[in-house]
Amino acid sequence: MILELHATPGEVMRAVETLQEFAQAQGVPEKTIFGLALALEECGSNVVNHALLRDAQKQFQVVIDYTNNAFVIELRDGGPEFDPTAATDRKPQAEDDDLPGGWGIQLVRRYTDEIHYAREGNENVLRLIKRVSLSADEEKLRNKPKPSTDH
Amino acid sequence: MSLSIEIQKNSDPRRAGAVTIKLIGSLDTETAPELERQMTLCLAGPINDLVFDLAELKFVSSAGLRLFQVARKQMVARGGGHASFINMQPQVEEVFAIIQSLPGIGIFKDLEALDRYLATRPRPNVWPGTQK
Repeated sequence: MILELHATPGEVMRAVETLQEFAQAQGVPEKTIFGLALALEECGSNVVNHALLRDAQKQFQVVIDYTNNAFVIELRDGGPEFDPTAATDRKPQAEDDDLPGGWGIQLVRRYTDEIHYAREGNENVLRLIKRVSLSADEEKLRNKPKPSTDH
Repeated sequence: MSLSIEIQKNSDPRRAGAVTIKLIGSLDTETAPELERQMTLCLAGPINDLVFDLAELKFVSSAGLRLFQVARKQMVARGGGHASFINMQPQVEEVFAIIQSLPGIGIFKDLEALDRYLATRPRPNVWPGTQK
């Protein structure tokens, strides 16, 4: 699934909602969906706020794929080169909350299994990977034939 | 996703000077600015404790954590005030683990637990305008 999005917070949340609906349809556990949604929200917000400076004329791309019980979320933007994976986690300090970014990447790390960054041409490409463990019931639900809509 | 914000000034004497902000829905990059706007108005008033009721908050990101941090700092600056959080759902609580150790943050299971704490806590300095 490929989403072309404008650089606005509303578009980030449109991508998040699309992801949630897609994951629910796959029978992915709610807790995992929450984490995936949070990771996409944080990374999408980072693109919109810092790479594209909330310029609604600019666009970025989100690709969502679910294969072999693994979610891959890819974000691609044409902003200045920036590797969020290079940021170190920071411990919460009483007076440093105005610094951008620190908590976001910390949350992304917490809710995904892998984060990969690459600079491809003039684009930042960030890939988030989350392996999903489905219970037997969830597997059954996922593999259940969908009701026919033919009349 | 949307966020509803309900702000209530407490008439209960146990929570005198406290304001409860109930958040319903999703606190994210799109909805955080509206909470920030309403919170700024709220904090301009004579309050010495801010209580966030998160029973119906389904989603929170770092955009929301940042606002909670702002509230915490402002309450602490008022001389012993607190930003308290009640009725937190498990998924939201997990996100909160990042900031819950900060001074001036109080997380309580429910309103009763908060009241028990307030009953034993030394009274904070009263914000100008609340003294009678």
